[in-house]
Amino acid sequence: MAISDQTIKTERLILRPFEKSDLDGVLSYYSLPDVQRYLDWKARDKSEAKAAFESMRKQTRLTRPGEVLTLAIVRKSDGKVMGHVSLRYTDSTAAQGEIRFAIGPLFRNKGYASEAVKAVVTLGFEEFRLHRVYARTAGQNEASARLLKRLGMRLEAHYREHALFQGEWDEELHFAVLDREWSRGAKVHEITRHKVA
Amino acid sequence: MSQSQPLPIPAAVLYVPRYPIETARLRLRPFNRGDVDAVYSYRSRPDVAEYLFDEPMNHEECAEAVRARTTQVAFSGEGDKILLAVERRDDSRLIGEVSLIWRSVADRQAEIGYIFHPDVHGRGYATEAACGLLAFAFADAGMHRVYARCDARNTASFRVMQRLGMRQEAHFREHAHFKGRWDEERIFAILDREWGGAQRCDGFVTITKI
Repeated sequence: MAISDQTIKTERLILRPFEKSDLDGVLSYYSLPDVQRYLDWKARDKSEAKAAFESMRKQTRLTRPGEVLTLAIVRKSDGKVMGHVSLRYTDSTAAQGEIRFAIGPLFRNKGYASEAVKAVVTLGFEEFRLHRVYARTAGQNEASARLLKRLGMRLEAHYREHALFQGEWDEELHFAVLDREWSRGAKVHEITRHKVA
Repeated sequence: MSQSQPLPIPAAVLYVPRYPIETARLRLRPFNRGDVDAVYSYRSRPDVAEYLFDEPMNHEECAEAVRARTTQVAFSGEGDKILLAVERRDDSRLIGEVSLIWRSVADRQAEIGYIFHPDVHGRGYATEAACGLLAFAFADAGMHRVYARCDARNTASFRVMQRLGMRQEAHFREHAHFKGRWDEERIFAILDREWGGAQRCDGFVTITKI
């Protein structure tokens, strides 16, 4: 399915592929230590963050396993790029997808990330017919764990001291939800999706 | 998610159990070419293969597997496997196999596994053999965490993990397709400090530190 023109509109957000002009918005949060801590793509400075941005800008299709769709989280009221949310197609036979997200510190605790993640999980189930969507978070990242739990995702794994991170033992949580579980909840919180021609 | 920093471990590190690893009733030793028939007697059975990634094996496949295992006896790097035959000390019958895989050198992680002939299930052999291998993993190879995976429905298997003092860390639901149906998987794990050392295996393991 070609979804390069995909835009999702929610109550307060526009979720759309990154555009060239979003670079400054991304630079404002991507390299911050408390964002970097939880990202796979390490970018300690501006040029590394720019490379990460260029890579995310190309993540506009989700047709084959391994591909990623990354959408900018844009606030409707002022057009500010606040963060991004990604859906990775990890397994085609079992129709599995992984969701990841990041949001700048200025935009936290307002439910924006939650609104964005919810819309993209719904996209994964309804548009891409996924069977299961999961998310991994670091054990210390309590805000993300809370967010995923509130959205109705189940804690399926809690690995203790499974890896070292900067000299300290790390913990990892996995949350997941199945299509039939999500569709039950989705009736309560309807999400308006709008496709641009 | 996590980025590992390498530990100051010498590059040419090598861990070899002192063979045989002996427990109260069992002997864990490297495979040899004479083990093919014994391996075939359980690996050919559909009930044994039900929860394994492998399908039931024919005699030729067993011979090939045994050949490969004769060299899987030590750790010299990441991904290395130690695959051992388990025989009873009283009658020298080969009743199953245990495995330890070095999953991460930097993070000192290993995965343990076991397969036993259904004839001998329910006698604590898997627990006893796994105990012998865990003792090597923690006391000799210096692992920080050892984990095991099994099909969520394989009650006998995860009971062994519980008896070993492992904690359930994961229960994945419908996360993959396995042999034509939705798969569920459990992961159990134990840390070095949780492993009580030899007393955990009291009664059946006598292992000495190399």
